[in-house]
Amino acid sequence: MTSSELDIGAVNDFVQGKPKRVEVNGRALVVVREQDEFYALHDTCPHQGASLSKGHVSGTTLYCKPGESIPYGSDGQILVCPWHGYEYNLRTGRSVFDPETIRVRSYPLRVEGDRVFVKLDPGSGKAKS
Amino acid sequence: MKQTLAPASEKGSQERTAISLIDSDVHNYPDSVDELMPYLPDRWQAYIKQSGFKSPPGPVYPKGFDMAARRDAWPPNGKKPGSDPEFASRQLLDTWGIDRAILNPLYGVSAVFNLDFANALMRAVNDWTAEKWLSADERWRGSIAVNVCDAASSAEEIKRVARDPRFVQVLLLVRSHAPYGRREFHPIFQAAAEVNLPIGIHFGGNGNPVTACGWPSYYIEDHTAMAQAFQAQVVSLVCEGVFEKFPQTRVCLIEGGFAWLPPLMWRLDKNYRGLRSEVPWLKKLPSEYIQEYFRATTQPMEEPANPEHLMQIIEMIGRDDFLLFATDYPHWDFDAPDKAIPAIVPDDFRRRIMVENAAAFYDFE
Repeated sequence: MTSSELDIGAVNDFVQGKPKRVEVNGRALVVVREQDEFYALHDTCPHQGASLSKGHVSGTTLYCKPGESIPYGSDGQILVCPWHGYEYNLRTGRSVFDPETIRVRSYPLRVEGDRVFVKLDPGSGKAKS
Repeated sequence: MKQTLAPASEKGSQERTAISLIDSDVHNYPDSVDELMPYLPDRWQAYIKQSGFKSPPGPVYPKGFDMAARRDAWPPNGKKPGSDPEFASRQLLDTWGIDRAILNPLYGVSAVFNLDFANALMRAVNDWTAEKWLSADERWRGSIAVNVCDAASSAEEIKRVARDPRFVQVLLLVRSHAPYGRREFHPIFQAAAEVNLPIGIHFGGNGNPVTACGWPSYYIEDHTAMAQAFQAQVVSLVCEGVFEKFPQTRVCLIEGGFAWLPPLMWRLDKNYRGLRSEVPWLKKLPSEYIQEYFRATTQPMEEPANPEHLMQIIEMIGRDDFLLFATDYPHWDFDAPDKAIPAIVPDDFRRRIMVENAAAFYDFE
């Protein structure tokens, strides 16, 4: 663990595919464990402030021409806001519908042993869990 | 297909310009079905004579004036308004110095349930427009009438008629039996794209009630509520992915107004953010498709009590080249070229509305 990383819990505190809210240094994150990868986003939808941790992990429809069979993909890579259905890429925090403009902040996570660490920014203190 | 226009002097300008005024919505009518007879096959001539067929079903609501026409648009020879090419040339084109005027025949072929008969009428209207109107005055340009109940036949007709470069548009009526983005209509858009002609969607039609709540009581409601149908068509064309499937498509909304467009764009964009997965063929915000692919004619000009609001609406739409001037001659709600656009509109912007935007959209030069 480096000085700027914070311990946010044990690996087994996080259920596969179920978003979990974690408060750390007064900041609320939504943490998702998916296929044993961990992702963390700011737990507030920039639209109207819904808690993204109340949303669900999903896939989504992918580009196709009108009339073609609609492909479905990115399964487990999309976090859907519980209020208005905004879709966010778990890895980047960028929205699917307007990735350049609408996004939530993402935070790097790292697993060491059975602990999960998040890097907020330099000078962060210890996770409160 | 480029068209060279005769030079014309622009009022108030020292420069001679290629063109000074374009009217993007004028109506031509056969005085009676007899005028179409020479353009119909024998079978349908006989059918008309035997059945007593007079015309497709007309508008549901009695208009404010007979034939919805200016009272002075009845030619002295007793013909109907909009049925005498020479009179229309004098009363409209000569009076106002209009260099190009686009004819939109509102003969309701799509309201004729017999598809073979409707298709015969469709072809007759187009051949009649070419021979009786486009050949009568070089300032007229034509719109191709189609039968939206038979998209395949309409596509063939578009390709047939578009060989005549005087036709500059494919004409649809806004009150259709289904929204035009649906796949049943795609052959029409495909054909228009193939011949590089824009689509014009005009006030009127016979498909469904003018409001989503059913039939209102009065013509004032019909005339006002038609904007609902235009909104439905804009939403449909965007959401069904017509512009992704046929990216050459361009659409002009004719006689539907435009002030309703900004809030529609806002609402559609907002819903797209949560419902994008339904329409994965869209690559950008719906409002961006609207801005890129749609234009609108001015008539009937939106007239807010505070004319500054008009410029605000135009700014919200987001394009300087969005509006095309139109008179709607010979109809009663005619907009006069020298009065319809309020004084608050700057001269350069006015010139865009009166001539440049239509010249670009219809590929005139």
